[in-house]
Amino acid sequence: MATEPALDQAGLQGPAGWEEEADREHAQGLGPWRLGLRRLRRNKVALAFGALFVLLVLACLAAPLWAEHVAHTTPNENHLSDTIQIDGETTNVVGLDGVPIGPTWQGEFFLGADPNGRDIMVRLLYGGRNSLMIGVAAAFMTTVLSIVFGTIAGYFRGWPDITIRSLLDIIWSFPVIILGVALGVALALGGIQIGPLSISGDSLAIPTFIIGLVYVPYMARPIRGQVLSLREKEFVEAARAQGAGPLRIMFTEVMPNLTSTILVFFTLLIANAVLLEAALSFLGAGVRAPNPSWGTMIDEGIDRIATAPHLTIVPGAMLVLTVLSLNVFGDGVRDALDPRAKVRLEH
Amino acid sequence: MGKLGARRITALIFAVLAMFVVAACGGDDDDDGGGGEGGGEAKSGGSITISQTSQPDFLDPALTYTVNGVEPLWLVYTPLITYKRAEGAEGSELIPGLAKEMPTISEDGLTYELTLREGLKYSDGTPVKASDFEHTIKRVLNLESGGSAFYLVIEGAQDYIDADKAEGDISGIETDDQTGKITIQLSEPDGSFSHVLAMWFAGLVPSDTPFKNLTESPPPGVGPYKVTESVPNRQFVMEKNDQFNIPGIPKGNVEKITTKIIKSLQRQTQDVISGELDYMQDPPPADLKPEVKSKYADRYEEITTASTYYMFMNTRVPPFNKPEIREAVNIGLDKPALARLFAGEVSPGCSFLPPGVPGYDEALDVEDCPWGNPNEPPDLEKSRQMIKDAGEAGTKVTVYGNNDDPTDKVTEAYADQLNKMGFAAEPRILDGGVYFQTIGSAKTKAQTGFANWFQDFPHPKNFMFLVDGKSIQPTNNQNFGNVDDPEITKGIAELNQEPELTDEVAERWKDLNVKLVERAWVAPYGHRKLATFLSERMDFDNCSLFHPVYNNDYSSFCLK
Repeated sequence: MATEPALDQAGLQGPAGWEEEADREHAQGLGPWRLGLRRLRRNKVALAFGALFVLLVLACLAAPLWAEHVAHTTPNENHLSDTIQIDGETTNVVGLDGVPIGPTWQGEFFLGADPNGRDIMVRLLYGGRNSLMIGVAAAFMTTVLSIVFGTIAGYFRGWPDITIRSLLDIIWSFPVIILGVALGVALALGGIQIGPLSISGDSLAIPTFIIGLVYVPYMARPIRGQVLSLREKEFVEAARAQGAGPLRIMFTEVMPNLTSTILVFFTLLIANAVLLEAALSFLGAGVRAPNPSWGTMIDEGIDRIATAPHLTIVPGAMLVLTVLSLNVFGDGVRDALDPRAKVRLEH
Repeated sequence: MGKLGARRITALIFAVLAMFVVAACGGDDDDDGGGGEGGGEAKSGGSITISQTSQPDFLDPALTYTVNGVEPLWLVYTPLITYKRAEGAEGSELIPGLAKEMPTISEDGLTYELTLREGLKYSDGTPVKASDFEHTIKRVLNLESGGSAFYLVIEGAQDYIDADKAEGDISGIETDDQTGKITIQLSEPDGSFSHVLAMWFAGLVPSDTPFKNLTESPPPGVGPYKVTESVPNRQFVMEKNDQFNIPGIPKGNVEKITTKIIKSLQRQTQDVISGELDYMQDPPPADLKPEVKSKYADRYEEITTASTYYMFMNTRVPPFNKPEIREAVNIGLDKPALARLFAGEVSPGCSFLPPGVPGYDEALDVEDCPWGNPNEPPDLEKSRQMIKDAGEAGTKVTVYGNNDDPTDKVTEAYADQLNKMGFAAEPRILDGGVYFQTIGSAKTKAQTGFANWFQDFPHPKNFMFLVDGKSIQPTNNQNFGNVDDPEITKGIAELNQEPELTDEVAERWKDLNVKLVERAWVAPYGHRKLATFLSERMDFDNCSLFHPVYNNDYSSFCLK
């Protein structure tokens, strides 16, 4: 308790202060995870945005409940010729001139309808499920591949390093969006057929695979760099001297020291993957119709921005909130786990 | 003109800024000026700036096959025979163009004889010769134009292509430069051949015109206008051709027409409203249409075109190989709902032949439609029951469509309607650039999906070939549903032999159209409307002729 005010003061002094703080806390003998949690708890902004992200996720998970019990429709059901009662008046869901209804602020069409007469709120929640599912799955795929490639390349050096680095450089040399669009368009036509594995072109697994792949170099290279440094440390030398093999050293000595980096990267990757999914879907190379995602919803609404701005504003706002909350929370996690780290996803 | 293309990502790009407008009214009144409906007189002179959303595919009469190219070029290249400059059914009437009179057709329908008018000159002053006609058709065939299929009925045309010699001879075309006489021999009778002769592909060009795409430097022609500048993807300019003087064909009113290529429809609409543009070829976007229709109704008009929007149903693939399933789809198809997706630009109907084409039956688009009035909600319950009775409830159906706006939305809505009928339908949206080739390939086995057709010429054959059993082919098939009704196919073959489209022949086409609809081979849902939207300084009342074949007639445009 006595140290709390002093730590808070240190927290106001920027990175130099954080380092001092970290040294003091290490001196207290606290483990890195407890220290990290303690620091994260003090970062109210990061916690607030983390809570916001959790809320968004919960809302999206509740999509079927909203659709069935409140909106009484499904995300893909068209209501082109239907009418709705608003304040006792009968209104077309889609006007004869093709203009869809705006927000009604009631159960059905709470946020309005799209040109096909589909409930925007329902599609927003289902779209969020798709966007987040792709984001998390793609981030997971990137993380696993990056750990495998980065660790092998950094630990063994030599020809494995050269081979892996070359492969990563090839992917790195393409701008993320361009590579994503190219792969998206190509795979959307025929899907993926590898032996018994068959994925149709309109499956959500396609954008997940693409996004998971294009970000690998952005995480694998920093991990490789860290492994290169770790493998020269005394504790690795000691393990080697005790006769430990490469696999054991990687799992017991190297990996634990990568955990904080991986964790921070993972949160930032989710945000970037959600953003890239939206971009690809907007450009027609991501989630396929009629499946909703925030990117496809923005794309569908862009031609009606003057008469039905809610079609773009609503999914756009959700996208901004999600990415912002993940980024701020991710930064908070990074600061908490390793104040000295400069982990950034730069592309 | 076939299918109407569009764009997607371009909606994001705010392109080229539109420009200068030089207002210079005045000048002499001209009795030969453009058409008008307002009862006033059209003024001559001045310049206008108009817009297209995308560059014409070609600015070469032998090659262009899109509305963007054809709408301006029919005023630059006049064929031997052409269409009357009038609206409605009158505009579908054939009149002599560069020929003195309408062709003399032999009794067996195989020989067409025409004679050139005397003293004709191209816009560059070169005299027009009868042999130019053969050269014109050679260019169409040699350049593998999209229109070459229309001219293969000429004797020796296929041999000319097979020989692969540009300067070779087409044995079925005889010309005499001295007398101006042109004789065309067909290998088999073709009742629509007079219309084929009136197509822009047959607009005469000089005999020394090279066998290559001349989009950047269009050849001279005989027409009220000539192309004086062409900068692909930026603009092209047409100026009045002072040498043009053919009775019955207007000489045009404005001196200069500059066509800008502007990607954004929103931008084009704003520019027409502000007066920076005088006309936009595409209709205003759905977004701005309500404003345009309410505030600028005095210079905006929608006209139903000779086009048909329909859903093809592949009769060789389950479940659409069952007649009762196709009938159920026709009964359950919510046509007014689909029309809303076109922002009111589609008038619901169930006739396959569209308005303006001989054989069209207006009643079929209203109360005589066997599947219920197309302007009213469908009998979904009946449709669902029929599908259930046929044992196809829950059958998986893939609905094909492309990503052009609003085709993607229409495809999704159609899939949803099929689901409400009892199928398990999923849309498959393909890129617009590969869509028709994909569904036209037998390997795809496309079950059902979006299709449309805009007339090339006002003859029923131009639509009925889409459901002709003889036109089925393994690739590039236009008969997407593989419709092969022996009676209809035989009827089409017989009517194709008729040299003239008399009232009696039109009545027989009408019967075929009714049979096609009643037997539910396709599921038509409406006819597209296009729009005329002019700037404030244009004389909308007296100078805006909408031609049934070539849409807006620029030669009718004039300033106030």
